[in-house]
Amino acid sequence: MWSTAREIAEGDVVIVWLTREAVHPLTITAGKEFNGRFGAYKHSDLIGVPYGSKVACRNGKGFIHVLRPTPELWTLALPHRTQILYLADIAFVTAWLGIRPGSHVIEAGTGSGSFAHSVARTIGSRGRLYTFEFHQSRVAKAREEFMQHGMSDYVILQHRNVCKDGFDLQDEIDCVFLDLPAPWDAIPHVKRAVRKDRIVRICCFSPCIEQVLRTVSALNEHGYTDITMYETLLRPHEVAQLPAPVPIHAIRNKLQIAEVQKEDRRLKQIAASKAKRDGAAGASPSHSSVEQSGSKRKRGAPNDDTVDDGGDGGSKDVKRVKTGDVNAGDTDHLHECVESFPSGTDLKGKGKQSPASSPPPLTVTQPIKEVRGHTSYLTFACLLPSIFPTPDAGRPFSPEMEAIPEPAQPSPESPGPQPIDEDNDQPPPGHLDGLQATPTTVTPPAQ
Amino acid sequence: MACTTGVHTKFPKIRRAAMNAVAGPSNANNERPLNRSSSPFVGRKIQAGDTVLVRLPNAEIRSIKLESDATTNLGKYGTFRTNALLGQPYGLTYEIVNKGLKVVCATPIEDVEDTNATNELINDGQFVQPLTGVEIEALKQSGVRVDDIIKAQIEQHANYALKTEYSKDKYRKRKEAKFSKTFTTLEATLFHVSDYWFTKDPSRVQDIRADALAQMLSLANIHPDGRYIVVDDGGGIVVAGILERLGGKGRLLAINNSESPPVYHILSQMNFPSSYIDDVFCSINWAYTDESWAPDFPVDAEPEAPKNEKQRMRVEKRKRAQEKLNSTRAELFRGEWDALVVSSEFEPCSVVEVLEPYLAGSSNIVVHSPHIQNLAKLHADMRGQAHFLAPNITEAWTRRYQVLPGRTHPLMTTSGSAGFLLHAIKIYNDPNASAAEPARKVARVAKRKRMQAKSDANTQED
Repeated sequence: MWSTAREIAEGDVVIVWLTREAVHPLTITAGKEFNGRFGAYKHSDLIGVPYGSKVACRNGKGFIHVLRPTPELWTLALPHRTQILYLADIAFVTAWLGIRPGSHVIEAGTGSGSFAHSVARTIGSRGRLYTFEFHQSRVAKAREEFMQHGMSDYVILQHRNVCKDGFDLQDEIDCVFLDLPAPWDAIPHVKRAVRKDRIVRICCFSPCIEQVLRTVSALNEHGYTDITMYETLLRPHEVAQLPAPVPIHAIRNKLQIAEVQKEDRRLKQIAASKAKRDGAAGASPSHSSVEQSGSKRKRGAPNDDTVDDGGDGGSKDVKRVKTGDVNAGDTDHLHECVESFPSGTDLKGKGKQSPASSPPPLTVTQPIKEVRGHTSYLTFACLLPSIFPTPDAGRPFSPEMEAIPEPAQPSPESPGPQPIDEDNDQPPPGHLDGLQATPTTVTPPAQ
Repeated sequence: MACTTGVHTKFPKIRRAAMNAVAGPSNANNERPLNRSSSPFVGRKIQAGDTVLVRLPNAEIRSIKLESDATTNLGKYGTFRTNALLGQPYGLTYEIVNKGLKVVCATPIEDVEDTNATNELINDGQFVQPLTGVEIEALKQSGVRVDDIIKAQIEQHANYALKTEYSKDKYRKRKEAKFSKTFTTLEATLFHVSDYWFTKDPSRVQDIRADALAQMLSLANIHPDGRYIVVDDGGGIVVAGILERLGGKGRLLAINNSESPPVYHILSQMNFPSSYIDDVFCSINWAYTDESWAPDFPVDAEPEAPKNEKQRMRVEKRKRAQEKLNSTRAELFRGEWDALVVSSEFEPCSVVEVLEPYLAGSSNIVVHSPHIQNLAKLHADMRGQAHFLAPNITEAWTRRYQVLPGRTHPLMTTSGSAGFLLHAIKIYNDPNASAAEPARKVARVAKRKRMQAKSDANTQED
C-alpha cells in the first residue's frame, strides 16, 4: 500500500504528527514546504529521513514526527468527506466478518475511505475489495487516494448506486459491509454477488435503532440466519502522576489548630476593643479580660507595647494577630487537646511535603471525561451455503447391508451440489435431499 | 542509527513505479482482475484432522477433533459417523439420525403476534408440567420426534394457555434446546475461536476478549508480508491472530518462557495449512534475547565420531536445531521489526525495554493486560523516555443485543471486561530538537525587552 522502505523518498505519502489532535497526511514533493504550529519544514529536508523520526525545525524551534502511514493513522489524518468509521467498529466488523488475507469483500458506500484502507491492509494484494459510492465527487477523491496509496490493483472502486442497480458481481464474495442509509434496499441484491458454496457474512452499519429493526426484517425475509446486533466503543483512560493524598489526621490537626487560633483571635479582639473603650474613656486599661484568656500573660514584650499604645495599639494588635504569628506557648493549654501528627506533614493540605518524609507520587488512571457515546449499531447475519454435497443421510446399520459410501467428493452421477435457481426460490427436486419432507423446526438458539 | 539492510529494500522500486504511473482511472468500471476466487484457505471445507467448533442446541460451543473413519460423540445429543461431515462447508446445522447426518434448514424468525395475556393468574411453584421424567424418557426412546415431545408437554402444561405469546415462544425454544439432537458447525475464524476461549476459560487467554484481540491486530497494523515480534503467554490466541492475518506471508517471532518448544495449543484449532506456519513462524525463549549471552554449546557431546545411523541422525538434528536457533537470534538482533505485540504474565516495562531496540521507527507497540495498573506503570515509564510517541490506554466496551420482533433489547448477561490495551509508536529521537512553546516564550520575552529598550532609547532621545 504505502512505502515499506526504511527512509522517506520523493513522492511518498507520510503522516505528520504534531499532537494527538493534529495528524496530517503529506505527499513529499521537493520544493514544497509544510507550515504548522511547530514551524516550517521543507519537504526536501525530509527526504532520506527514516520513518518514525522526530524532526527538528531548521531554525531550532519546534519539532514534528514523521510517521509511516497505517490505516489507523490514516483514519485520524484523512480529510473527512462523510462521517467515518473508527478503530473500534473497524476492528470488530473485520473480525466478525472473518476478513482475512485473500478475502473478497463488498463495501457500500465508500464514503471517505476509512474502512476501505483497513480492509485493503487486511486482505492484501491477493484479496479483493469491491467498493461502491454513488456520489460523484467522493468517487473521484477516493479513486485518487487509492491510486496514490498503491491500492488500485485490488481495491476496485465503482461509481454506482447499489440499492438501485445491485453489485454487478456473481458468485464471488465472502464478506459484505453495508454502510448505507437504507441497507434493506441493497440486501436483495447481495445474494447474487456472494459465493454459494460457503457461509457468507454480512454487516449493516446504522446509527438509528429504527434502521436496525427494518434491516433485521429484510435480512430475515431474505433467508439470513444468526441475526444479531452489537455496539462497540473505546473507553480511553488517562494516566497521571499525582502527589500522594494527605491523610485525614493531618487535616484534622490543622483544623483544630485553626479553631484554637480563631478563638484566640476572638478573645484578643474582645480584649482589644475593651481596652480601646477604656482607653478612650480615660480609664486605666483593665487586664481583667486579658487575664481571663490567660494567653496574653505568656506573651513577651510586643504585647505589652500593644496594650500601652492606646488607639493605635488596638489596631496594631489586631494587625499583629492577623499575621497569624502564633508562638508555641500561646495556646498551650488548648494545644494539649490537639492530637499529634507526623512531623513534616503538610498542614496547608496542598500536598507539598517536606523532602525528608514525602511519600512517592501515585500513578493513577481515570477514564477520560469526554468520550464518544455512540457511533452506530452493527447488525450482523449469515447466509448459509446453498451448494454442498449431501452428508451421509444415515441408514439403520445391519450386517447384511453393504458399506455405506462416503460422499467425500461429490461425484458427477450423484445428486450432489445443485445450483439454486435464482429466479425461483423453490429448490429443484433432488437438491438438499438430506432434508426430510417436513423439515424440523429448529430456530437458531436465542443467544 | 546505522542503516541496516532488512527485508524491505526489495519493495520500494516496485512501489515507486506504481506511483509514477500515469494518473487516471487505471481501473475503469469494466476492468476485472483475473483472479476471481478468494484464497483457498478462506473457502475451505471440513477436512479430516480438522478441529471443529460445534454449537449445540443449548448454545454451548464444543471443540471436537475429526478423524476419518471414526465416530463423533456429542453426549446426550448423540453420536454419528465422522465421515458424514467431511467435505461439508462450515456453518450448516445437522440433525443426528441413525448415526448419520441430515442437513436441517433454519427457519426464519417468525413474527409472534402479541395478545392481551399477562402473568396475572400464573402462580409459581405449582406443579405445572405433569409429564414425568420417566414418561419423557419413554417418548425419547420410542423415537418420537422432538416436536411431538414438546407438543405433548404443552398439552399437559397447566398454565400454557395463560402465557403471553412471547413467553410461549421462549418456552418452546427452551424445550427445543433440551431435546433436539442437532448441532451447527462453526468456521474456525479468529472471532469464533477467541470467543470460544473467552467464554470457556478467560484466564487461559489472559482475559483477551474477541473485540480486544481484533483491536490489537488493527493497532499493530498486522498485514501480509509484515514482520512482527509477539510475546503471548495466553495459549497462543495472539499468535493465532497474527498468523491468520499474515496469511502465510511475512514473519512472526514469538518469545516464550519455556525450556522446550512451547505449545501454543490454540493454533491447532485454527486449522491453518502448513504454509501459514512453516516459513513464517519461529520462536525462541527469553534466554536468547540477551545479546551479551553467547553460549557455545557443542553440537556433539560425544568425543568420537558417531557410530551408527541413529547417532548420526541425532547429531544432525541437534545441529540443525542449533543453526535454526542461531539464525532466529541473529534475525531478532538485526532489528527493523514492524510491531511488538505483548500479552504477558511478566512485567511489561521490562518486556518493552528488552525488545524495543529491535523495532523499526514508526513501528507499533501494543500491550494487553487484564489489569490497568500494569499498563499505567508502563505508560508512566514511556512518558519519561524519548523514543515512544503518544502512549495511550484504552478499554473495549461492547454490548450485544437480541433482535427479535417486539423483543429487541440488549442481552441480559454480558462480559464485564476485555482487559486493557496500551498502544504507542516507537520513534527515533532527536536530542537537539526543542519544543516550540518554551522557545516561543523566550522569543516573546526577548522581543518585549527589545521593544522596551527601543522605547527607552526613544524617550531618552526626547
